[in-house]
Amino acid sequence: MSTTTPRETRQSNGAGAASIARRFLGENGALAGLVVLVIVLALMSSDFLTVTNLLNVGVQAAVTAILAFGVTFVIVTGGIDLSVGAVAALSAVVLAWTATGHGVPWPIALVLAVLVGIAAGLVNGLLITYGKLPPFIATLAMLGVARGLALVISDGSPIPLPSAVTHLGDTIGKYLPVPVLVMLAMGGITALVLARTYSGRAMYAIGGNEEAARLSGIRVDRQKLATYALSGAFAAVAGVVLASRLASAQPQAANGYELDAIAAVVIGGASLAGGKGRAFGTLVGALILAVLRNGLNLLSVTAFWQQVVIGVVIALAVLLDTVRRKGLRLSSRQAWAGAAVALAAVVAIAVGVASTGDKSGGSGGVAGGAHKNIKIGLSVSTLNNPFFVQFRDGAQAEAKKQGVTLTVQDAQNDASQQVNQVQNYSSQGMKAIVINPVDSDAAAPAVQAANRSGIPVVAADRTVNGAKLAQFVASDNVAGGKDAAKTLAGSLGGQGKIVIIQGQPGTSASRERGQGFLEGIKQYPGIQVVAKQPADFDRTKGLDVMTNLLQSNPDVKGVFAENDEMALGAIKALGKKAGSQVKVVGFDGTPDGVKAVKAGTLFATVAQQPRLLGQMAVQSAIKAAQGEKIDATNAVPVKVATRENADQFAG
Amino acid sequence: MSTGRSGEILRVRGLRKGFPGVQALDGVDFDLSPGEVHVLLGENGAGKSTLIKTLSGAHRPDEGTIEVDGSPVEIRSAQDAAALGIATIYQEFNLVPELTVAENLFLGRQPRRFGLVDKRAMNARARELLARVGVDVDPGTRMGDLGIARAQMVEIAKALGLDARILIMDEPTAVLTTGEVERLFAIVSGLREQGVAVVFITHHLEEIPRIGDRVTVLRDGRSVGRVPADTPERELVRLMVGRSIEQQYPRERAEPGPVLLQVRGLGREGAFEDVSFEVRAGEVVGLAGLVGAGRTEVARALFGADRYDTGEVVVDGKRLAPGSVHAAREAGLGLVPEDRKGQGLVLGADVGENLGLVTLGSVSRAGVVDRSKHRAEAAGMADRLGVRMHGLGQEVRTLSGGNQQKVVIGKWLLADARVLVLDEPTRGVDVGAKVEIYQLVNRLTAAGRAVLMISSDLPEVLGMSDRVLVMARGRIAGELASAEATQDAVMELAVSSTPENSQKDPS
Repeated sequence: MSTTTPRETRQSNGAGAASIARRFLGENGALAGLVVLVIVLALMSSDFLTVTNLLNVGVQAAVTAILAFGVTFVIVTGGIDLSVGAVAALSAVVLAWTATGHGVPWPIALVLAVLVGIAAGLVNGLLITYGKLPPFIATLAMLGVARGLALVISDGSPIPLPSAVTHLGDTIGKYLPVPVLVMLAMGGITALVLARTYSGRAMYAIGGNEEAARLSGIRVDRQKLATYALSGAFAAVAGVVLASRLASAQPQAANGYELDAIAAVVIGGASLAGGKGRAFGTLVGALILAVLRNGLNLLSVTAFWQQVVIGVVIALAVLLDTVRRKGLRLSSRQAWAGAAVALAAVVAIAVGVASTGDKSGGSGGVAGGAHKNIKIGLSVSTLNNPFFVQFRDGAQAEAKKQGVTLTVQDAQNDASQQVNQVQNYSSQGMKAIVINPVDSDAAAPAVQAANRSGIPVVAADRTVNGAKLAQFVASDNVAGGKDAAKTLAGSLGGQGKIVIIQGQPGTSASRERGQGFLEGIKQYPGIQVVAKQPADFDRTKGLDVMTNLLQSNPDVKGVFAENDEMALGAIKALGKKAGSQVKVVGFDGTPDGVKAVKAGTLFATVAQQPRLLGQMAVQSAIKAAQGEKIDATNAVPVKVATRENADQFAG
Repeated sequence: MSTGRSGEILRVRGLRKGFPGVQALDGVDFDLSPGEVHVLLGENGAGKSTLIKTLSGAHRPDEGTIEVDGSPVEIRSAQDAAALGIATIYQEFNLVPELTVAENLFLGRQPRRFGLVDKRAMNARARELLARVGVDVDPGTRMGDLGIARAQMVEIAKALGLDARILIMDEPTAVLTTGEVERLFAIVSGLREQGVAVVFITHHLEEIPRIGDRVTVLRDGRSVGRVPADTPERELVRLMVGRSIEQQYPRERAEPGPVLLQVRGLGREGAFEDVSFEVRAGEVVGLAGLVGAGRTEVARALFGADRYDTGEVVVDGKRLAPGSVHAAREAGLGLVPEDRKGQGLVLGADVGENLGLVTLGSVSRAGVVDRSKHRAEAAGMADRLGVRMHGLGQEVRTLSGGNQQKVVIGKWLLADARVLVLDEPTRGVDVGAKVEIYQLVNRLTAAGRAVLMISSDLPEVLGMSDRVLVMARGRIAGELASAEATQDAVMELAVSSTPENSQKDPS
């Protein structure tokens, strides 16, 4: 890929305009980075520079940008706000809970949501000013509190939004997406507050030298309170926009977004030491992140490499700005030009190296003929879990066998990122889309959009509510849960105390498996469920939770873990007791899980067949792409794997 | 003029160094002999700092040569400078307050045994070094618990520990009281006898004949003269500013008017007690005393920057809410703090922003700042004060000390402060700018405002005050009318109630 092209492009501009543009870019390091990025991506992907795609980028940047505007205030004062993602989720949940659950008129619910954001910000501010807590700690605490309250209020489940509010996620006419309008409005407010108001100027003074500001009669505590309250209010707005895009309020939404927001602010030229930062820079920073994610989606860069590239670009963007500031006047232009070219080169090389990985079949052209022109997009909820890795492998194997091009994206358990990916698939001209939803409700708007473009969507493992699916392929979690109950109870002879280690609160897999298990265990009155605790589907957390539970329930006889990872963690905690004194039943039938079953430490696992799930999903997608009629549901067999039959399962 | 000494340890010829928009060094020659104290004199901005930063490896010269022991050297880093035996003691010490004295002395090169710090060896060697400087400090003392004077001596000991042969001291006396200065001079003389070459920067002309051997004067980045240290002050000033300054303390006394500031029985546990005084319109009241006597503490408390336990502050007949800078400002008080960079200025902001910091609220309507008015007022004030700058958009960090001080004073003048508390208003300010600040004080009092001036520079206090209050040990030890205020009288009061058990006695 030609890395010199950006420079040539600039030089070929008309002289006067070029020098103005050059000076403008020279003074806005981040903007220069964005321009370079756009040029590189436009050259690498023909799908990038289309109106639809650019609108997608705008929509995809909106939530991060709005959060980042709020954080800009805080960073200008020299503080930090880690709670914005959680506060966004809390505000959205409050909106949905009051409006949908308790019949509060939606405008009032909307006001309540913003008030919740402001309240959270005020608490942050009070802890920091009067409690003298460092901002990092105060807002970290608020992150936990807000996320927890969101889960408490919603009981871990997404709540649908009233339809009036979901229009905030719509597009007016053809070219005016509401999230972009909200983003621009919030950006305008931010610029106005920072540049023109007493509070804004006071923020710069406080961030520049707090003591000097105080000794100049600025009421620092009061201004800081206002700053954190503003940040909270912006977070609430971002939460509402996010929820309206997903048509539901998710307690787990915007997880980790605070870091994206902070990155956007810093890329935009603000200093974490305070005293510096502008709304425009923050907007550019948020756009850089969104453009990058969108571009990497379009280029089919593998999920793992995407994270690497994003990390490198964040570092380079800030580096470029530093070089530009520090370099002597004369050489600074060359300095940033050099850095910009370096940035372009890194993106180009990374993309070149990384994009080869996930395309199966197709262009290789080994297998054959009939399906050659079919492009299928797959969005996986997460690849941080062996189950979905196997699912992907099965899908890729099937694609190769059939000779279709399969592009895979990892949503990293983030519902809104998944919506972006599905959107991007639509603008890439996919013939069919396979979605393994992060959340069944939140995926709906994206699937509806694909429906409108006439692209068939197959859901795998989890369904999509409120949208038209070509097919839903899944193993039955509820039935699997019942099987697990039967197996565990049988192994204990229908007697004894057991504990349940739950998955991530709010996920459908956790809900359904738990529900099935509890229904199944009711048949055995001698079995007593003494504890239910979440370990987020995570092996380490499973270990910790089991260790803790053993303290309070040393006489436990059985464990049901809602996935194998947590079961394996629990086995670690149980040590020698596992398999002999305590029977553990897991779920999924992952290779590690089956190995443990063979070894006898895991009594049984309800084996899904993820490879088969992937294969069947791709088969259905190909059929749907060719216009064949397929059944609305397609059940993948579930089997209980015990020591006796373990060899049948891939170990 | 050449002294004809052959064994020069340091020779600098034709040094030039430019920064964007400024030619900081524009041809500097400088020589230094072993066992010599060579005073470097010049107004702020004359290039002293750039010269010593070049010698210590912080800057690289554009042109010119530096020779150490007769051979040309390139000093690219602090490590290079240390290897050549050059040590620099800046006004801001490079000491870690949380570590002990010994740990500071051996920072980064602690004696080790079996990979662990050998505390006993370290303390023993620290004791030797401290003895060489002649300072009585326990090596185990936490650095932050030492006063500024002792911290400085630890810095000197640290330099000696690094086998420094060339010791550069940037305004070491600026922060010291009279007694402490004597002590420092004794140490420097001792070093001279040990053959150490000392570059000594000071703004106090009267110190030069007492400590120096030769003087090199810098002006506008050039070395404009090398003269013996016993050159008359008038001649030194002429070399420095390029013209003669008629009067160093041009105080024009005005008839005192009504009482503007009244402090009654102010006290705070452990800091000061029973402090009462008043300042009238048109008056300059000096607040003298040793460092640590509680002067700054009183100033900050009456301004609302810190709390106080007892007493009250009355401005113009109205009692101030304690602990509120906002209330003090509304009542017409203004404070120019002693730590200009740390407390007076937002260094990263521009001149306009800094000048408008206090009046930000008063040029706002419904929370929105009237920016053109804000800017216009700042421009008018900068013009009135003669702030030397490229424009209001210049970062205040890049101004010289004197001009920075004008900005701090200017922000209070814009707020129409009627009582100004000036804490060390001319510290680190060069002779020319000092006189400008004094004239500003004259204009203020002539316009019926009042000034409370804290200063460790006794001639300044005596020259500019109409009355002098002397603080000792947190109390007002006495008041002297200008006629009876002499250095001896002030010092007598300042040490009058020094407590028996104090170890802080500097003399």
